Amino acid sequence: MTQVLLSGCGSSGPTPSGADTLTIGAYSVVREALHDGILPAFRAQWKARTGREVRFEESYNASGAQARAIRSGFDADIAILSLEGDMTLLVKQGLVKESWDKGPNRGMVTRSLVVIGVRDGNPKAIVDWSDLAREGVAVLYPDPKSSGGARWNINAIYGSGLLAAQGDRAAGLAQLASVQKNVVNMDASGRQSMATFDRGTGDAVVTYENELLLQRKLGRGAAPYVVPNSTLLIESPAALVEASIERHRNRQLAEAFLEFLTSNEGQEVLVKYGFRPLDPSIDNPARPPLPTGLFTMKDLGGWPKIKKDVYDAGGIWDSLFIGSQVTNRGK
Amino acid sequence: MSRHGIPHNSWTSLSIRTGSLLYLAVMVILPLVALGVQAAEPGPWAFWNEFTNPFAWHALKLTFTTALAMVAINAITGTATAWVLVRYDFPGKGFMNALIDLPFAVPTVVTGIMLVALYGPTSTLGAIMGQSGFAVIYQVPGIILALLFVTYPFVIRSVQPVLYEMDRAEEEAAATLGADDWTIFWRVTLPTLWPAIVTGSALSFSRALGEFGSVVMVAGNRPLATKTGPMYIFGEIESGNRHGAMVVSVVLLTCSLGILIVLNRLQRRGDESHGR
Repeated sequence: MTQVLLSGCGSSGPTPSGADTLTIGAYSVVREALHDGILPAFRAQWKARTGREVRFEESYNASGAQARAIRSGFDADIAILSLEGDMTLLVKQGLVKESWDKGPNRGMVTRSLVVIGVRDGNPKAIVDWSDLAREGVAVLYPDPKSSGGARWNINAIYGSGLLAAQGDRAAGLAQLASVQKNVVNMDASGRQSMATFDRGTGDAVVTYENELLLQRKLGRGAAPYVVPNSTLLIESPAALVEASIERHRNRQLAEAFLEFLTSNEGQEVLVKYGFRPLDPSIDNPARPPLPTGLFTMKDLGGWPKIKKDVYDAGGIWDSLFIGSQVTNRGK
Repeated sequence: MSRHGIPHNSWTSLSIRTGSLLYLAVMVILPLVALGVQAAEPGPWAFWNEFTNPFAWHALKLTFTTALAMVAINAITGTATAWVLVRYDFPGKGFMNALIDLPFAVPTVVTGIMLVALYGPTSTLGAIMGQSGFAVIYQVPGIILALLFVTYPFVIRSVQPVLYEMDRAEEEAAATLGADDWTIFWRVTLPTLWPAIVTGSALSFSRALGEFGSVVMVAGNRPLATKTGPMYIFGEIESGNRHGAMVVSVVLLTCSLGILIVLNRLQRRGDESHGR
């Protein structure tokens, strides 16, 4: 079915100009790092290696929307997404190989941390998740219903409570509920949440470290932040979209690009844009080391389990509000 | 076939009618039917479950109550504004008249940002209001404020022409007979304006039910508190619950359609009673 759809649109084969073309479907957070950093670096490398030019076609969108676009026929050769689950969607459609996550990095290409952005001078003295639960602290994070990427933030808060209590879900729920009660505004995406914070709303914004470092790089202020001692390592995947590559006949180019992303050279570019490298030894020594309480999605039982426990209907996320409604009624 | 003395080629008339009906079908009816079919497909039980889900229910309720509050305010302020524009002369009237339609031209997201800048917790006004317990932005009043802005022209623009064309002889006769200004307005002017006020209100209500861009910026979007129907729909689509999104859309659309039909009837009755 999808094959029929795909063959119905666009041209196939190499472009007439003689340049090699690579179509990239990525999640919005990597836009600057890709467009200004990775793509020019790879273009130079490819030229030196093969003597040929590369032309990129780039699309950036929220991770879930991007995955849906590729599923419905957007012919990206490379999918760079925020969530493993979005890649699974493409695997189920037969667009991405089932073995995409079997490599040394399990298919992951970008890394970051969930951190707390604060105001200049950290006037509310925020250092950890518990500080976000204090009275009078206004918190921002995006809505995990409308933003798949927002789930990293929620998972970090929930997970740190969960792991501190040896996997007791009630403790995770309590930690999340204590922060949620201070949330003043839930934007539709992480970028919008950051923009709301920039415009002056809130004392703290829960976001990715690389988003705050990008603010600094773009000269939009000091963007101070704190790294909670127990926080989540964000790991985002990339994979070849087999159906598109078959049609564009650019396997060699696509494979080289994916390899470049995980190579030290590619990772160093990502570090410049605020991401954490796959290999910690090439990290920027000037920034805070990885916290001792760092955990991964694997420590939380993996994405499918978290999706079921937290985000599915009747899960922990829903119970946060149903619960608060019950207490409101009791008042 | 030829009415009002305009000669009509019956073939031309037929094709124009068929054409416009087809256009309506393709542009409006077809997408709505597709939506309805998809929402109904998993069966009435699944539909009911999505509809009575507390998050969906609250979002729908919030959307309707804020839209109604907006309509109540707009019906009064819109009529008053139209009144001022028609019945009074003052310097800058032409400019004011031109300003009325501007809210239609402002991208709704910009409306949202502007309202946050003006009344948000970081603005002087917003800080004072927040401290005195009347926070607007990220609260329900913010939603109503955004709706008021995006629907601003509707009532004014439907009342204004009726006021212009109104025969003032009736009002003058009432004054001659000793009625005071208020009685004249209430007994003579308002009954004439009523259908136009209803039309403007109905349009702004329907527009408000689907408003997303500005509301998402000012509402705060907290579930079971300040998350409206359109934001709920967006969230459910993004998190993979297409059916839940469609059920809420269908409910919003059905109510909107029902209200438009009822108001249409009321308006026609009003027209008839005034011999129009």
